[in-house]
Amino acid sequence: MKEALTLIEENIVTPKKIELSNIQELMGTFFAKLKNRVDNYIGDYPTFIEPVYLEDNVKIGDDVLLGPNVYIGANSEIADYVEISNTIIYENVKIGENFKLENCIVAKNSSFNFTDLNVKNSLLMGVANLKTELEIYGL
Amino acid sequence: MPNEEIEFSRIKEVESTNLARDDIRNEVIETKKAVEKDNNLLADKVHQNLLENNIKSFDIVGAIGAGKTALLEKIAEKLTPKYRILVICGDITTRVDADRIGKHNVDTIQINTGRECALNAYHVHQIIKNKDLKNYDIIFIENVGNLICPSEFVLGTDKRITVVSITEGEWVIEKHPMLFKMSDIAVINKIDLKERLGTNVEKMIADAKNFNPEIEVITTSAKTGENIDKLMELLGF
Repeated sequence: MKEALTLIEENIVTPKKIELSNIQELMGTFFAKLKNRVDNYIGDYPTFIEPVYLEDNVKIGDDVLLGPNVYIGANSEIADYVEISNTIIYENVKIGENFKLENCIVAKNSSFNFTDLNVKNSLLMGVANLKTELEIYGL
Repeated sequence: MPNEEIEFSRIKEVESTNLARDDIRNEVIETKKAVEKDNNLLADKVHQNLLENNIKSFDIVGAIGAGKTALLEKIAEKLTPKYRILVICGDITTRVDADRIGKHNVDTIQINTGRECALNAYHVHQIIKNKDLKNYDIIFIENVGNLICPSEFVLGTDKRITVVSITEGEWVIEKHPMLFKMSDIAVINKIDLKERLGTNVEKMIADAKNFNPEIEVITTSAKTGENIDKLMELLGF
């Protein structure tokens, strides 16, 4: 699993050079083998649709729906009313309230400190305190 | 979050119109209507998708301990030699049921609903759109164990099966009219305990028929296998 994550991460380091078919294929392969691990999060009772894999110390808010096909890296935080499917979130990420992400990748150390975002097929990265500051690329 | 927002959030959560203050009553009602409409639209989409892929589909509802999983295990044993089966299991937490059924050579997906007391069409749609449906002939959906919330949400399957057991008492059907009105088959399970418990099974059958004259009612024992073949016939196998 770590190797596949590293491979995908290498593809997002220079986003302008993303080869669309390549990264979609890598994600498809990654999700096909993704195991379920949801007994280790910090928070209330979210809804999980298998498979969802949570690394250690993931914080999850109220009324959250994760899955299917969701990986969340260590020390990441998911705020209230978030829905995520077919998405890889790397470590130390902060997802704002009422985000809806489908088929996305969120780069490590990203922090989105605003509310209400609904995106599909995108790479998100960086620190954004406002929606207009969001660094986002199509996948 | 300001107190007012917390209150509104809570009211939306319980979806109970009479708890809403006058100034937000309209909004609460509109939200409820929209949610119901969206669920029905998604259920239609799910059903259409399953039909196009020649998949037979059933959702099974009933209280915790009624025998939903045990019946599914019996059914899976009989069907897996001929059919490719996907079982979607709904529970607040754990994957105990999915693990039990998974031992019978079927694919399983667990949905942990957290604080929600029933599956809805959105959950099922999220799974269906991520699965290659050509790999399956039959889909069973085992709902979260209770007899109340599932009546709020149709899931888009061919038939709904409601399972009760005689250990729940002879009033269990009489007390849950909504679910039996919207079900196609009522299964009264644990019939092997009839002599010992003295439950009035005839009343239970009459109650189900009274609520829904079209409903098929069958008594079974998942433990002894009694009438499992008859249940299979009702499912069309």
